[in-house]
Amino acid sequence: MKRTKLSRRTMLRGMVGGVGVAIGLPALEIFFDRAGKARAADPFPKRFGVFFWGNGMLPDKWVPAKTGTSWDPSPTLMPLADVKDKISVVSGMKVFTGSNFPHSSGAVGILSGAPFENNTDSTFVEPSIDQFIAAAAGQDTRFRSLEMSVQRAAKGWSYNGPHNQNPPEWSPAAFFNRVFVDGFVMPGSMVEPDPRLPLRQSILDGVMGEATALQGVLGSADKARLEQHLDGIRALEKQIDKLQQNPPALVACAVPGKPLDDYPDIDGRPQLSATSRVLVDILVMALACDQTRVFSHWFSDSVSNVLFPIAGVDSGHHQLTHDEPGDQPKVHSILLYIMEEFAYLVKALAAVPEGDSTLLDHCAILATSDCSLGRSHSVEEYPILIAGSCNGALQTGVHYRSTSSENTSKVLLTLARAMGMTLDSYGKGDGLVTSSVSAIEV
Amino acid sequence: MSRKVHSMLGWIGTPLVLAAIAGACSGDPQPPPAATDYGPRPPMPETAAQTGAQRLTVAQYGNAIRDIFGKDINVPTAIEVDTALDGFVALGASVSTISIQGVEKYEKAAFAVAKQVVADETHKAMVLKCTPSGPDDAACAKETVTNLGRRVYRRQLTEAEQIRITNILLQAASVLGGFDKGLEFAIAAMLQSPHFLYRPQVGEPDPARPGQVRYTSLEMASRLSFFLWNNIPDDELLLAAEKGQLVDDDGLAEQIDRMIESPRAREGLRGFVTDYMHLAHLDKLSKDPTLFTYFSPELGPAAREETLRLFEHIVFELDTDFRDIMTTKQTFVNPKLASMYMIPSPSDEGFSLVELPSDSPRAGLLGHASILALHSHPRATSSTLRGKFIRDDLLCDPIPPPPANVNTGLPEASEGGQTLRERMKPHLTDPTCSSCHGLMDPLGLGLENFDAIGRYRTTEAGAIIDPSGQVDGVPFKDARGLGQVLRDSNKFAPCFVRKVFSYATGFRPTEADRPTLNTLTWDFRAEGYRVKALMKLVAMSPAFRLAQKPQ
Repeated sequence: MKRTKLSRRTMLRGMVGGVGVAIGLPALEIFFDRAGKARAADPFPKRFGVFFWGNGMLPDKWVPAKTGTSWDPSPTLMPLADVKDKISVVSGMKVFTGSNFPHSSGAVGILSGAPFENNTDSTFVEPSIDQFIAAAAGQDTRFRSLEMSVQRAAKGWSYNGPHNQNPPEWSPAAFFNRVFVDGFVMPGSMVEPDPRLPLRQSILDGVMGEATALQGVLGSADKARLEQHLDGIRALEKQIDKLQQNPPALVACAVPGKPLDDYPDIDGRPQLSATSRVLVDILVMALACDQTRVFSHWFSDSVSNVLFPIAGVDSGHHQLTHDEPGDQPKVHSILLYIMEEFAYLVKALAAVPEGDSTLLDHCAILATSDCSLGRSHSVEEYPILIAGSCNGALQTGVHYRSTSSENTSKVLLTLARAMGMTLDSYGKGDGLVTSSVSAIEV
Repeated sequence: MSRKVHSMLGWIGTPLVLAAIAGACSGDPQPPPAATDYGPRPPMPETAAQTGAQRLTVAQYGNAIRDIFGKDINVPTAIEVDTALDGFVALGASVSTISIQGVEKYEKAAFAVAKQVVADETHKAMVLKCTPSGPDDAACAKETVTNLGRRVYRRQLTEAEQIRITNILLQAASVLGGFDKGLEFAIAAMLQSPHFLYRPQVGEPDPARPGQVRYTSLEMASRLSFFLWNNIPDDELLLAAEKGQLVDDDGLAEQIDRMIESPRAREGLRGFVTDYMHLAHLDKLSKDPTLFTYFSPELGPAAREETLRLFEHIVFELDTDFRDIMTTKQTFVNPKLASMYMIPSPSDEGFSLVELPSDSPRAGLLGHASILALHSHPRATSSTLRGKFIRDDLLCDPIPPPPANVNTGLPEASEGGQTLRERMKPHLTDPTCSSCHGLMDPLGLGLENFDAIGRYRTTEAGAIIDPSGQVDGVPFKDARGLGQVLRDSNKFAPCFVRKVFSYATGFRPTEADRPTLNTLTWDFRAEGYRVKALMKLVAMSPAFRLAQKPQ
């Protein structure tokens, strides 16, 4: 897969009278709004996110009846009615990279466009889409990407490559501390010199030297593992660099409220909604304060058997998808719950003004799951939602229905291009595609 | 959360790839020799198991910190999580890499430990043996870094390493004004070193085997201590390693014997059992307390303690046939477990050894709340999860995942109550399902007398539970009978050897390891199936002592 840097970088400088001033690079992209009127490139950076839940959906209740711009929310998508104009539905797509490993095949296929490595080790062979994009779009911020999960010690599916996982942060308190307490510099403020910072960097320089020397004597697999460790050290050095610079002011940036230390289970059921929302509130400000431009929110894991705090839901989610008879009303109520939380994320981003639009308008967010119908682990009729117009690169408010079971990798190619990457293709093996979903592109 | 069926972990138990089609569940094509038909001892091959640089697990990291700086150090637990491979974090540690956030967390943890050390005179005294004359006392800095470095790097520092870290100490002491500040930064530097966080193993030419590579004496020290203690070498082991004793048969045997008899071996066994039986998941057991009145957050940890203590008891106190773990009437309970097991509690608090009454439905591991609760759903049992646990972890029979696009729905429980056995019928009659579920569900159904948290019951939905079944054609009446059949199965001991070997070497055994496993199994049997003997057999084996050349 060809890797390219973003075709241009957008630098932010101070706000003048509430108007962002882009400097540094010429605006290369001219795009057209619906009326065909050309407008200058948006000075705000593009952000990318993934919202993921486990165990799929119920296709009969998921796919909206009408296509194009006049779609009405299906029963499952009702929670998104208020923000329907900010969302596109892509239906009828299929994961081409196999479906032999229930839950895993679908998740790995939709997120990486490549097959799931199952012969010897169960892992990704290619990075997940969030990390693929972060490699280009995550270079200018303190954090290359942020991953969080609603369930304790959830796994998530954010991978840089084989066995190279980015475990999500599940503790709101720890997430808050990482972004807004430990080494946070308020955009627009002047930093005080801290003598500890260069000392920390000289420790890291030494660690890098040791790791590099070790690479010389170890086998190739361990060399590659140490290279990932070195990547982490380089990223940490960059973070410490940032702490010694004066960041430009950002009007929308504010430190969010401090979360509770813990969100304990109530009657054996986790507080999914409360936890998700407090994580989202922190995330939204992490984006508005330009601490990161790439995120993934793992609402629930693949195969998650979590007991949802919903009256009448009397079994774990995964078990219900397989055992609930008929048209699975309990599973449906769980999906409504999940969609409410996706709606919360979309609305929270839409509530932050940036220039003459909103933070949501500067995002492309992929919402998806590990399969289509949970009961059979099918990977056809895949659940795919996209929120945000990514600075005008994506159409929103559209339901595009594929009539030929197109490859889900096309969606990944669309998203990567919307983020500004110049790519001829996306995916690997049966997941390889050379064309995107033009119906949702501007 | 219970472990997952149909998940990405655990499908791949052996090097063979099985197509997920009906009839794919044929199990291991080369079964180990039957227990009654061992024949003469096969020679022990001189092949190296796989070689790699394991990253310290969360448990090993904590053990190492406490060992170096003092038992009461508050070890940060928020470091990069372990990932399991084949259900073992010991295997995940050989292949997993670290995320950016993981590197951040290592830095934070290193400083959190270092701050505690310099803030407390007792801790500081463990690492600072000289009295610094001031922030620029280079001699004291060098001495401190040299001594501490040997513990942290598990070997003497090279001169370049010692100079670099001493310079960090002096630089930080000068900039921040105080030797203690310098010490803090020196400790933080060492705790971020790849030589501490990983176990790099390269080896050296083996003089006894031209063309082959063996682990160096110092590398052997770390291999042994992580295998047997789940911890770093102690001073005595490092000394023996520095004298070259661990590349010598007698010197090695002497240290192994000492290590197995040391109290640290109990911690080591606990580390192995936690990994092997997936007991860490008991911390986040998700059960519905409105349905299970006996469920409370302390059940999981109590259940884990029972299982750990029983293993410890069989291995160290009794030093007896390990297979008895499947049938023994002895176990350990605290008041919480005793009330759930409906037996009198021997004490008001803590755990005690008890002998279950002869008519108790429980016997051995399959009667433990830990195993029963881990392999169940939040509100219901699962014959598939329990059966899969027995196949994967006790018999090493891999079960491939279900075929693609199969409708997994089961018929609804009808009015008048239906037991799980009746509801699972399609699993065993539909050929698409039965090829695999036939291997799992009949075993799991043998445990149906225990609910999703491990309480005994005789009925489900008003119907009498039938816990009888068969394992590969051998019939059993109930859970106790199932335990007995598994104990006597010719797959049980070879599977256990395989698990111990995987854990010890940090890699999934390959086809090339099969002869080693066969000989180890033969020897394990000859030693009366005693685990202490197996530990030594593995640690003395060429597979454990020889390295593969870097590729």
